[in-house]
Amino acid sequence: MNETVILRLSLRDFRNFDTVDFYPSQDGLTVIQGENGAGKSSLLEAVVYVSTLQSFRGAPREAIVRQGAIEANVRCDVLAGKRKVETEISILLGRRDRAWHNGQRVPGVRGLLEVLRTTLFTPDDLVLVKGAPSGRRDFVDDVLTRSHPRLGADRSALDRVLRHRNALLRQLGGRLDSEAATTLDIWDDRLAQIGERLARSRSELVEALSPYAAEAFSILASQAGSFKMRYVSSWEGALSDALAVARHEDLRRATTTVGPQRDDVEIEAGGLDARTRLSQGRQRCVALSLRLSSHRLMTNVTGAAPVLLLDDAFSELDEATARALVGELPDGQAFLTTAGELPPGASPKLVVRLVDGKLKQ
Amino acid sequence: MFAGPIQELVDELGRLPGVGPRSAQRIAFYVLEADRDSALRLAQAIVEVKDRIRLCERCFNVAETELCTICSDPRRDRTIICVVEDPRDIVAVERTREFHGTYHVLGGALSPIDGVGPEQLRVRPLLVRLGVEGVAEVILCTNPNLEGEATAMYLARLLLPIGVKVTRIASGLPVGGDLEYADELTLGRALEGRREVNG
Repeated sequence: MNETVILRLSLRDFRNFDTVDFYPSQDGLTVIQGENGAGKSSLLEAVVYVSTLQSFRGAPREAIVRQGAIEANVRCDVLAGKRKVETEISILLGRRDRAWHNGQRVPGVRGLLEVLRTTLFTPDDLVLVKGAPSGRRDFVDDVLTRSHPRLGADRSALDRVLRHRNALLRQLGGRLDSEAATTLDIWDDRLAQIGERLARSRSELVEALSPYAAEAFSILASQAGSFKMRYVSSWEGALSDALAVARHEDLRRATTTVGPQRDDVEIEAGGLDARTRLSQGRQRCVALSLRLSSHRLMTNVTGAAPVLLLDDAFSELDEATARALVGELPDGQAFLTTAGELPPGASPKLVVRLVDGKLKQ
Repeated sequence: MFAGPIQELVDELGRLPGVGPRSAQRIAFYVLEADRDSALRLAQAIVEVKDRIRLCERCFNVAETELCTICSDPRRDRTIICVVEDPRDIVAVERTREFHGTYHVLGGALSPIDGVGPEQLRVRPLLVRLGVEGVAEVILCTNPNLEGEATAMYLARLLLPIGVKVTRIASGLPVGGDLEYADELTLGRALEGRREVNG
């Protein structure tokens, strides 16, 4: 099995780090210990940034660049298959982020994702299960973008079509003459075409994730039995027909009431709806299962296991679940941040402590 | 802040597309230090373009007289109209030397986000031209992005009932390029639009 391995990570003026140079263990678990606020998550944030040019904490670039500096740099040497790639990114305030592979400019995020893929676990993943449908849609679209970039591009196209259509609906103010109807037809057509394709890709992806998630859940929750995951469309039949039916309502409310932006992923464990009926402990197991399922799927699709990033992922787990997760962690390189003890049963290859912005072995 | 006239120049330059505050400053000081003649040439060129250039009455390309050089060229085939978003697109198509018809500049693409609907585009004049110029084919040459595609589709719906032939430019790979460097969106489109080989 091919693996993606981070050989070295260097940060300059990233978050609260002046400079950090870090050689993690090339296989197994590297643990980063430190007090709250020491910058543990920032290290993982830098890794994700090198892969996606985005902060997984949703931070703006101004917050990424160390206070007082104007540019942050991350350098990450990656072994992707047999190829060693020195990835560098520059986050310069007031400019677009730039990236290089072995000194060659990388024009887009897709190029970065091809070299370094990550699977991230955080305690916030609970929102995937408990929260609004948008979180589940984003999760599916994120996996889709990473595994099938072309299909993932439909998501940004969908967002744009919806902005156009909703702007048009607002401009119409509830009135529709034949001229306006022709224009609305055009956007309905675009929405129907992109929306149906996106819904189909999402639905197929959920189906592909489902067995992996079911297997992970039965181990994590030590509960065999039914685990179901299903993509639920907000319409039946052709989307163009559904849009035609909803047109009156859409005009009245000046927004688009059917389409993939209203869809959801339904999850059921032991016959109970995961969002509303499971205990919080079980919901955490479902969230972990979703992450593990995306990890396994990516490994299969791309032929290389993504780097595992566990950001404080064990802090809220009960001992049995933590133990089960440690046992279930896929092979390959993994990073774990923790403010406290190691999770039970963990046998790290390397433990570093983060104190005052410096790493100590 | 600089002395009055310099700051004014910096502010005006800063309004130009693609010119940030620092470039505006650099250009302003370049002009200040340049000899009087070259600075005047620049000023004159700006005045000329505003005074002498207008839009072609037929196709809305930039022109010095009522008709642009293309519309007033008798060798151009007036039965084929290539519809573009912007006069700069005409320059791009002209460089191919493959097209001998005439053009029609819409002045943008449908984009409700920016408040652009059919009324903001030169759609009606296009319909008028179809009526009087004996047009046989309209080539929809809008950009291959979401807004350009929507505009092309809108025009197709409007034009087809009139009985004119409507075509859309193809999307695909750059000639002389390598497949391995093509992005997957473009390559996907090229696969969709593949043609049978008749050897």
